[in-house]
Amino acid sequence: MFVLQIATAGLATGSVYALIAMGIVLIYKCSGVVNFAQGAYAMIGAYAAYGLGSLGLSPLPAAVGAVVIVAGAGALTELLVLRRMLKAPVVAVMMVTLGILIFFRAVCLAVWGADPIAFRQIFPPGSVQIAGVFITYNYVAAAALSIVLSLGFLAFYRFTPMGLMQRCAADNSRAALAVGIHVSNQVSVAWAVSSGLAALGGVLLATLNGLSLGLSSIGLVAFPVIVLGGLTSLMGSLVAGLLLGVLEAFTDGLLTPALESWFRAHTSIYSVGALQHVVPYLLVGLMLLVRPQGIFGRRGTERV
Amino acid sequence: MPARPARSRALVLAAVVVAVAACFALNRFGAYLVHSVAIAAIGALALNLLTGFCGQISFAQGALVGIGAYTAGNLGNAGWGLGAILAAGLAGAVASLVIGLPALRLRGLYYAIATLAAQFVIEYLFKIAEPITKGFSGLIVKPLVLFGRTLASDQAYAALAVGVLALTWAALARLMRTNVGRAFLVVRENELVAKGMGIDVARTKMWAFVVSGFVTGVSGALLVFTHRLATPEAFELPLSIDQVAMIIVGGQGIWSGSLLGAAFVVLLPEAIQRVGEAFDIAKLLFAMREMAFGLLIILFLMFEPRGLSALLRRLARWVAGAVSRKAPATASPAAASAEPLGPRATLAAPNTRTQSGGST
Repeated sequence: MFVLQIATAGLATGSVYALIAMGIVLIYKCSGVVNFAQGAYAMIGAYAAYGLGSLGLSPLPAAVGAVVIVAGAGALTELLVLRRMLKAPVVAVMMVTLGILIFFRAVCLAVWGADPIAFRQIFPPGSVQIAGVFITYNYVAAAALSIVLSLGFLAFYRFTPMGLMQRCAADNSRAALAVGIHVSNQVSVAWAVSSGLAALGGVLLATLNGLSLGLSSIGLVAFPVIVLGGLTSLMGSLVAGLLLGVLEAFTDGLLTPALESWFRAHTSIYSVGALQHVVPYLLVGLMLLVRPQGIFGRRGTERV
Repeated sequence: MPARPARSRALVLAAVVVAVAACFALNRFGAYLVHSVAIAAIGALALNLLTGFCGQISFAQGALVGIGAYTAGNLGNAGWGLGAILAAGLAGAVASLVIGLPALRLRGLYYAIATLAAQFVIEYLFKIAEPITKGFSGLIVKPLVLFGRTLASDQAYAALAVGVLALTWAALARLMRTNVGRAFLVVRENELVAKGMGIDVARTKMWAFVVSGFVTGVSGALLVFTHRLATPEAFELPLSIDQVAMIIVGGQGIWSGSLLGAAFVVLLPEAIQRVGEAFDIAKLLFAMREMAFGLLIILFLMFEPRGLSALLRRLARWVAGAVSRKAPATASPAAASAEPLGPRATLAAPNTRTQSGGST
């Protein structure tokens, strides 16, 4: 029973990871930009929802408003910064997004301060009982919402005309230009969609774990997800996100206590600390050595 | 690049000696600023070698500084002197090589993520390996004993840091004039071309990792002896990002950029803190500092990817141009004094372009 409880908690956080990772993959596919700032959009999303809430909006409209605001911020970032760096080397672009992350963190720090804030719950308190396991509505709702949204997003990408244009722009931007797709605008759309997704992920995470500046580090947690899933596969990030979420939960719930009791018995080490946050990176190290293209990714051919 | 004439080499040497000696004339706060900048600059030189000259981005710089610091701290407590610093360099070199191994197969983004993973794993190890690192309570380090003399004052550490900085700078600049150094540049520009020229790309990268890791380890050793305390928080990701920011702001692929960037990144918060204390708005200013930091990274990469040193160089040229235009009579001496700089600047131009555009 305990195992089942851990697994559901893991699925809930994992599905949020997936949501955020999908945004990074979307931007990468479309424009080749690796977005380290994704965590920043998650963080602003949560803070914006909190801010709108304190202006008097009820939680749900506040969350929706936050997603819209952050989507706009994402599109604006693309217009103001990344569109001007089209010809810059990959590494420079990567560092620019890092600068964006630092900047947005500082903005939130200036406005809301460094202390954690109690986040108003969107979902009603209480819990459901499934097969003898109690799961709070929070987790159920977060998991359900982000999985449904991820699937919806995949469907949008697969079946709508806009999704088709997105895929065209991602696949071959020159050919897309030739058939009359405004590729730059598609990239802006990708930024708006992915930062909107991140904002929603941020709001959901804040309802699970509370609101603090630490939320921005979710963007870095998303990188193991992307590497595992394959940098170019949206489906891959969904699967890898869920997988890593569950893995983290099991590490926290089962592996850590076991390891600690062993360490205490045999060495002078008393605690293994936040092992669950390191496991994804260990996995990534292995993955990069064995199969760099990820579970679902394709090995790309590199041109000179 | 041709070897410098003997006279200018002697001038540089004299300047370094004067700078080291001047450290003893500083007050404590001045010495603190000098050793903070110098130690950060040594780390930035190492990162510049790896990123600016060889094209391998790294986010594991903080972890490498930490490995150097813990190695030196423990050995220093066991009574080692100069040996502790060298051992820290070796430990950094080995760790850097291990972190770099994936880079033999991976490129660009994937390698960046691998270094990020290494950074997180190593900073985690710092926290839990209590027998070695003393965990969160921190490793307390005895003062450094060099050649039978105990270094006790901030001034002494500032002088040591400036001396090591000069030595490192000279050694790295010399390295870039060897075949290995030239191979770095080709690998940065395009790995396939490097292969075509018969350069062993894997071995070249390994050289870059080893040398850069050694220098980073040494900077960690200096850091720990100067602060006498090593805590895991000091070596977390923000330190890596600070170092990356230093070479961006200062100038990638330009040695003086490392020093300029380090000075900028270290002194900016100090200056802001002073102002904040004076006006009692320290908290807000701390946020402003971070904001300025992020914004500067963005702006430099967008508008001046070659950083402060390129900016200063351009400014100097502009001033020289303005002077010669205003006073045509004095034009010939101005032109004559600019001449020795001319050929070197043009020669340096291909070296100082940022990053490879090879694999996109």
